[in-house]
Amino acid sequence: MKNNKVTIKIPRPLYDKIQQLIEGSGFNSATDFIVFVLRDLMSESEATSSESDEFSPEELAALKKKLKNLGYL
Amino acid sequence: MPEKLVVIGLDCVTPQLLYGNWLEEMPNVRRLIDDGFRANMVSTIPPITVPAWMSMMTSKDPGTLGMYGFRNRASHDYGDLFTVNSKYVKEKTVWNYLSRNRLRSIVMGIPLTYPPQPLNGLLVSSFLTPSKDVDYTYPPDLKHRLDEIAGGDYIIDVKEFRSDDKRQTLEQIYRMSRARFQAFRHLLRTEDWDFAIMVEMGPDRLHHAFWRFSDSEHRLHEPGNEFEDVIHQYYLYMDRELGETLDALPDDTSVIVVSDHGAKGMHGAVCINEYLIEEGLLSVKQYPDKPERLSTDNIDWNRTKVWGDGGYYARIFLNVQGREPKGQIPAAELGQFKRDLKERLEALPDENGNNIGTRVFFPEDIYTQCKGTPPDMIVYLGDLNWRSAGTIGNRTIHIFENDTGPDDANHAQEGVFLWANRGRPPASVEKVSIYDIAPSILDFYGIDVPEDMIGKVI
Repeated sequence: MKNNKVTIKIPRPLYDKIQQLIEGSGFNSATDFIVFVLRDLMSESEATSSESDEFSPEELAALKKKLKNLGYL
Repeated sequence: MPEKLVVIGLDCVTPQLLYGNWLEEMPNVRRLIDDGFRANMVSTIPPITVPAWMSMMTSKDPGTLGMYGFRNRASHDYGDLFTVNSKYVKEKTVWNYLSRNRLRSIVMGIPLTYPPQPLNGLLVSSFLTPSKDVDYTYPPDLKHRLDEIAGGDYIIDVKEFRSDDKRQTLEQIYRMSRARFQAFRHLLRTEDWDFAIMVEMGPDRLHHAFWRFSDSEHRLHEPGNEFEDVIHQYYLYMDRELGETLDALPDDTSVIVVSDHGAKGMHGAVCINEYLIEEGLLSVKQYPDKPERLSTDNIDWNRTKVWGDGGYYARIFLNVQGREPKGQIPAAELGQFKRDLKERLEALPDENGNNIGTRVFFPEDIYTQCKGTPPDMIVYLGDLNWRSAGTIGNRTIHIFENDTGPDDANHAQEGVFLWANRGRPPASVEKVSIYDIAPSILDFYGIDVPEDMIGKVI
């Protein structure tokens, strides 16, 4: 999960503006704010499930064990 | 007018217990009702934790969410399933809209919020979080404070509840509930927030683990057993937690208490795949000596038209020509086949031959749309008085112990809803829909309700 991120460049003045905007807000960083805004816009489109949405194999194994203990599986 | 709203979600809390005889002993619940109104809350079809809470938070039905349970078919290939997580939620939640309106939220324990996504505020994910080793909060460093503010150990969910060690189960449920309420109150007192919501799973785990001990009408009830008063005592405990939480709120905060579905006694389980085998609709390569989960690898697809899944309700899947790899039902006959099967399922008897009142739903009739790959039928066995057992090898259709561990409560269609200090006269409503809650929250903050939300402002 840790290596599936990419770097995107945005204009510095925009970045500075975002920094100001999130100051004192509940957003942890400019990156988080940008991710929120992009997801917010994206979800309006007919976004479909993709493989990258799936749990990682390790997460899935842990979850299955948990669900089995809870009697769901 | 109140400016802040807090929602306390109590998974599975059920109207007949919360509004029944015990209400006299619950001063805090009574205080909330006196300051506003109470209603029954009609849940999603089916009334299960995933997708119910997410339907409540988006005002979208399970078909629009494309989530029919926590495990869903990814395609019409046999056994091609995926487990949902927050990234599959493509619809906007209440806190998405609040964040967009620069309002700050505390979101704790709502099922299907793992992995946590950024928001204007704080989020602690819930049920379906793989373990506490992962990043399960937003921002991630909140995780390191949680144990401390929860009084030692923040518990996402109990490790098991369908266990024979009832004392341990009970102790785990209390530890989990206390920790979550304590952590939530700490955040209410120390953080900036406009909207706060928490969901406690304890009542759900408690109902499933202890129903037979408490309900004298239950087939397996033993009068005078040591756990007879456990559910009653837990409701009184929840009332005390509610009281302490109300004390932690700034004056003039509006309060909602809500569950995602109700609970009722489980008469037994219908082994849905045993039934389908008996009806000649399902054929397996090897019938096991003892009960085991029906594996899609064990199904003889060339001789199978229907298979089913277990759970609080049954999911029925059809093997259709041109849709499934080895489809057996001609597509042209599908409509008639479904109508016939519905009739047969609705005639299902109990072990004495009496009709149990099964209800059958077709996703295309009950949802505004059906994204992803829905089951072909959603079946409430005995109107949810019976659960669905998916295992084969039972050599009978009716069983009276759950096939995935002791459980004697099923989910009921209606949960609870209380709204106190809303800032306007209480509405006289007997029932609200689960889809009405998100629009009502947005309306509270003066945010226009998006047209695609299917509920209405209460």
